[in-house]
Amino acid sequence: MTAASQTRRNPILTALLSTLVPGLGQGIVKRWYRGVAILLATLVVAGMVIWYGKPVWYFAPVGMWLWNIWDAFSLAGGRARTILIPVAFGLAAAYGIGWQVVGVNFAAADMNRALAVARPMAHPDMFEVKTETNETWTPIKIPCPATSSSPSSVREDNGRVATVSPSCGAPMDTLKISVSGMWPNTNTQIWWRTAISDPLLLGGTNGDKMLVLKTDSSGSLTTSIHVPISVLIAQPDKTLSLEHQVRFTQSRPTGGIAISYNGGFVLKGMLETIAMALMATVLAIFVAVPISFLAARNLMGGNPITFGIYVVVRTLLNILRSVEALLFAIVFVVITGLGPFAGVLALMVHSIAALAKLYSEVIEGIDPGPIEAIKATGANWVQVARYGVIPQIIPPFTSFTIYRWDINVRTATVIGMVGGGGIGFYLIQWIQLNDFRAVSAAFIAIAIVVIILDFLSAKVRERLV
Amino acid sequence: MLRVQNLTKVYPNGTQALKNVSFEVKDGEFLVVIGLSGSGKSTLLRCINRLIDPTEGKIYWDDQDVTAASPAELLRIRRNIGMVFQQFNLVKRSSVMTNVLSGRLGYANPWLSLLGIWSPADRERALKALGRVGIADKANSRADALSGGQQQRVGIARALMQEPRIVLADEPVASLDPVLSHSILQYLEQLNKEGITVLCSLHFLDLVHRYATRVIALKDGLLVFEGLPDEINRAKFKEIYGEEAQEVRAASFEAPV
Repeated sequence: MTAASQTRRNPILTALLSTLVPGLGQGIVKRWYRGVAILLATLVVAGMVIWYGKPVWYFAPVGMWLWNIWDAFSLAGGRARTILIPVAFGLAAAYGIGWQVVGVNFAAADMNRALAVARPMAHPDMFEVKTETNETWTPIKIPCPATSSSPSSVREDNGRVATVSPSCGAPMDTLKISVSGMWPNTNTQIWWRTAISDPLLLGGTNGDKMLVLKTDSSGSLTTSIHVPISVLIAQPDKTLSLEHQVRFTQSRPTGGIAISYNGGFVLKGMLETIAMALMATVLAIFVAVPISFLAARNLMGGNPITFGIYVVVRTLLNILRSVEALLFAIVFVVITGLGPFAGVLALMVHSIAALAKLYSEVIEGIDPGPIEAIKATGANWVQVARYGVIPQIIPPFTSFTIYRWDINVRTATVIGMVGGGGIGFYLIQWIQLNDFRAVSAAFIAIAIVVIILDFLSAKVRERLV
Repeated sequence: MLRVQNLTKVYPNGTQALKNVSFEVKDGEFLVVIGLSGSGKSTLLRCINRLIDPTEGKIYWDDQDVTAASPAELLRIRRNIGMVFQQFNLVKRSSVMTNVLSGRLGYANPWLSLLGIWSPADRERALKALGRVGIADKANSRADALSGGQQQRVGIARALMQEPRIVLADEPVASLDPVLSHSILQYLEQLNKEGITVLCSLHFLDLVHRYATRVIALKDGLLVFEGLPDEINRAKFKEIYGEEAQEVRAASFEAPV
């Protein structure tokens, strides 16, 4: 509404009307858009404040209401007041309430907890120094058998002799152990392996630490240990004498670097992620190409039936595209079970929608000129398609497809977290196990792969378009 | 000889682009079509090789009825009619060579052409055509890497590949600057002197006077003038282009000697 078309009224009456119903006064002077906007804005802000229920925020709708009365009063005299004031009130309420709703609390960021995560993450578990181990053991019976046993248990293997005496015992008994023929002057881990192969620690006051002692120059060591108190826990018949082991383990670096245990899973997961994205993209192409022709307005706009198909296809694509691949993954995991295939299906559905839309836009953007020119040479319709249409759509199709693959690799890393396979599948487990060194390795691997793919896809697309 | 009889074109949206147009083009003529934008020049040229199907009327090409030709006959007729466009209509992402070779599609083996395989004779012919328009060295460039004038020369080379007896040129120089306009029209003039009939739509009267052997004029789809270029005097000009029109006569349009 322009100022010229508005009617002049009694300012007091107009202001009074706006006092009763915000915007009514503005409406009376024929500024209907303004009036409706004021009414809706005031109602929305008031609703927001009432819903949040903190009286302090009532200043915002009240402020807007007061401004509206002033505005109505001025408008009756032919002069509008700046809308910056109610906008500022509305924004202040929206932002202030939003701040409190999401619980912004910088104090919650605990430094110690942050360090507990950051320290291991500074040492990603990707590579390790190659080591060789030297291990021997000797048996011990727990509890002592009914028939008498030998005073000590001696076991020899490849020149290494391990001895424990007595050769049987009960929890908390003191045992004398010794070993010889090991590597000299080397730290040796001494630990207990139960009859069911559980490792138990022997160091510290309660067996809560690994017992580590150094061998002497001849490769021997002697010490005494207590039989771990929990040694019988997993033994159903506490009177049955079973054979446990006292083990001596040495390790030393041999030089060279190898991929660590978790590093192997990082590589496997990364490979799986890239393959998932590739499979999903390629499968999506086959579906998206035919659909894209149905979603191209220049091809389908001709008559009401095809235009109807176009509208339906476009709408479906928009709906599919608005649902994140992650959510599809949750659904497909239920259908196909955990694993990369669920992730592939999820990525595929989302990619079909995205690619079909991009492809259809390429088709809509085809230059009809060359097609006309090729027709004019006397070419048949297949030749027209081959020389007039294909050269125009193949490069952008390829470019969009590579870009989609690139996006899919990034999405696939997250999809694993809901069970869709790939590196995310391992990542979520490491996060739950607090293994932040492995998490760090996975982060780095994802970053490297995404950066490389990003770079390559940009380079390839540059050449295509 | 090309004969157009009572040609009428009504588009589906109701626009009457051509109204009962009749004229003849004799072999070896350089016939220029003039008229305002929207007067039906493009529609007329496109009806001749039936890129647009006329609503009524007949077109005879050497006594063969083009308007009644079967699809197979139409392809055969089209390959003898070269066409040059205002926007050049090259496939921008393809090489110049491919663009020129595509002019040969009407003659080539359909299967091999789909695979992009061309006979050495056709390649030879394409290089010769590019040589005639002076850009043989650009054969392997991408079409959109060329300047406007060069692109139109590729367009002419493409038409030459058809070994045409007539060339339809739809405002071939409207997208080019005056100097390039002359260079392109001189190529068409050269072809015309070699015996190829040219039917060309143009905007600028200077160019009409310089190149046309005969002129027809369209106004709102009606044929309003047919005669020699010299017959277009001031009064005729006003009649064709309307009372408001002012003739643009840039010094740079003076024909080079």
